[in-house]
Amino acid sequence: MKIKLFLQIIISLLSFPLVPFRVRRRESGSFKFQNSILSLCLFWVALFFFVIKPLAFAEEKIPVFPSTPVEAYTIYASLAVFWLAIIGLIVIIKMKLNEIDRIQKLGIDKEDNEAPLLD
Amino acid sequence: MIWPKFKDWIDERYDIAELKKLAKSKLIPQHRYDFLYYTGGITLFLFILQFITGMLLAFYYIPHIDFAYESIIDIVTKINMGWFFRSLHHWGAQLCIVFVFIHLFGTLLVKSYRKPRELLWVTGFILLVISIFFGLSGYLMLWDERAFAAVRVATGGAGALPFVGSFIKIFLRGGVDVSGDTLTRFYAFHVSILPLLSLLLIGLHLLFVQYHGMSTPVSLEKKEHKEEPFFPNVFYKDMMIWLVVLGVVVTLAILLPPEIGKKANALAPPPEGIKPEWYFLFLLETLKLFPGIIWGFNGETIAIVCVSIGIFFFFLIPFLDRKSSRGEKSPIFTIIAVVYLLYFITMTLVGFLS
Amino acid sequence: MKLKYSLITRRQFLNTLFGGSLIAFFSGTIFSLTKFAFPTLGKEPDFVVLNKTDFADIPKNSAKTFAWGGVPGLYLKKEDGSVAALKGVCTHMECNVTYRPAEKKFYCACHKGWFDETGKNIAGPPPKPLEFFEVTEKGEKLIIARKGAKVDLAKV
Repeated sequence: MKIKLFLQIIISLLSFPLVPFRVRRRESGSFKFQNSILSLCLFWVALFFFVIKPLAFAEEKIPVFPSTPVEAYTIYASLAVFWLAIIGLIVIIKMKLNEIDRIQKLGIDKEDNEAPLLD
Repeated sequence: MIWPKFKDWIDERYDIAELKKLAKSKLIPQHRYDFLYYTGGITLFLFILQFITGMLLAFYYIPHIDFAYESIIDIVTKINMGWFFRSLHHWGAQLCIVFVFIHLFGTLLVKSYRKPRELLWVTGFILLVISIFFGLSGYLMLWDERAFAAVRVATGGAGALPFVGSFIKIFLRGGVDVSGDTLTRFYAFHVSILPLLSLLLIGLHLLFVQYHGMSTPVSLEKKEHKEEPFFPNVFYKDMMIWLVVLGVVVTLAILLPPEIGKKANALAPPPEGIKPEWYFLFLLETLKLFPGIIWGFNGETIAIVCVSIGIFFFFLIPFLDRKSSRGEKSPIFTIIAVVYLLYFITMTLVGFLS
Repeated sequence: MKLKYSLITRRQFLNTLFGGSLIAFFSGTIFSLTKFAFPTLGKEPDFVVLNKTDFADIPKNSAKTFAWGGVPGLYLKKEDGSVAALKGVCTHMECNVTYRPAEKKFYCACHKGWFDETGKNIAGPPPKPLEFFEVTEKGEKLIIARKGAKVDLAKV
């Protein structure tokens, strides 16, 4: 049961991953808010399923998860790497979004149909 | 270097200027409730995840009562990463249905079903029924005690409808009782019929969304609000959220793989404390509220009829809510929406805790 | 020395970073998908164990089939009494071969390929000779093993 409690904390932490990025523009504030709403949803979903689900299962043990410790640790390590990859991707996408916001603020993202062609 | 060349190749053959203009013109309003706009996308993402993991599992699953259970044990114990994809399919299904309900109640509460978007509600409602049936049919594939009993109760419940009940029951079961024919039939539903139907309906649903654009809540419609372009701003935000959802599903799949119970036995009693999947609990608890005999009539039939009326009313809300069709505030239907939501949550919790 | 202007634009930097991470992410996903798609069941065995009594008394110049995974193996007793075992699968398109005692050759009906007693491909399209196994006797059992395969005696 102790391991379950420990894992419960990890899952709750992992489902709450959206660190509020340092947004430079104020209009991205609503996104910060809705981001936290969604992560709150995901957090409660994860919590809910984690506590309730295990109580409903049969005793007969068919190994639904690799039993050897080597495989188990590989899997947990891969999970950690996977989350790092996701966080990395999210960071990069946020960087892209900031850049897009900056460009749109400057107004230089529109295609200029009046621009003369060089012949 | 490759990307511009690729774009030129397409440009020399297809005139997609119109499409590009259309894509660029898609704008998403920004307001207090705009987080609801993402719920549909998350549901779509989870649906796609289910399609992919489902296709993978279909490589090794055998839909015959003598082999179904054993093939799943093979997948979980012998195939490379089989346990993972089965677990992922299970959790993907759970989260998909959660988000279907979140999306449903979200649109209900902000009344985005109102004119001109009634068909979105209709297609969405049918998709809800399809999702639930996906869940039930997929669940039977394991052919364990719990699934067997659950399908018996669910199809038996449908059979309690007056007049059409027995036809529906025999159609779903492929016979009078749940048997190998039921498994084959549910497999056909789960792997072929429902995917094709859902693809068609999701296509229509998305088409209507693009046609009408995003709706804003009635109270905020008249006010000035900012809009941001879907491409690229909201597209990237969608991507971020989908990545997080993927992370959550994978984490759940790894840390909480679903168990495999004992193989189903048609002659054995159901296991102790058996319950259906959580998205059926509110129906079960509602049925339990009705006494066995009401004024001389079969209580179960009356219960099913009442539940059906409730669901039918729910389906008709966009057509009954005249005020919001006119663009006015409709507090009665807000209350109705809140009642439905609270009822659903309460009955589901009651089902869990009892 | 500090450069006045950047060598790459912001856009190039971000897009490369993004594209690169996407590729890394998806290659991991595709790797696990392909691992799943290639089955672990039904692999060819390294050796099989047979009962000597089933095979010791077959007539000379005949072959008896035994199971080698999902394909037939042939236990051959030659004219002089010596025995051999081989995989009864043609090296051309993997059809099953049969032993023709009259010609003392193996015949593949799919494309009319012929192999001699030693398995060498002598006529027709087969490009390589038949694969022969090592036969060892252990008490009441016959062990037919792939050449060079380690036979784990505990499993026998």
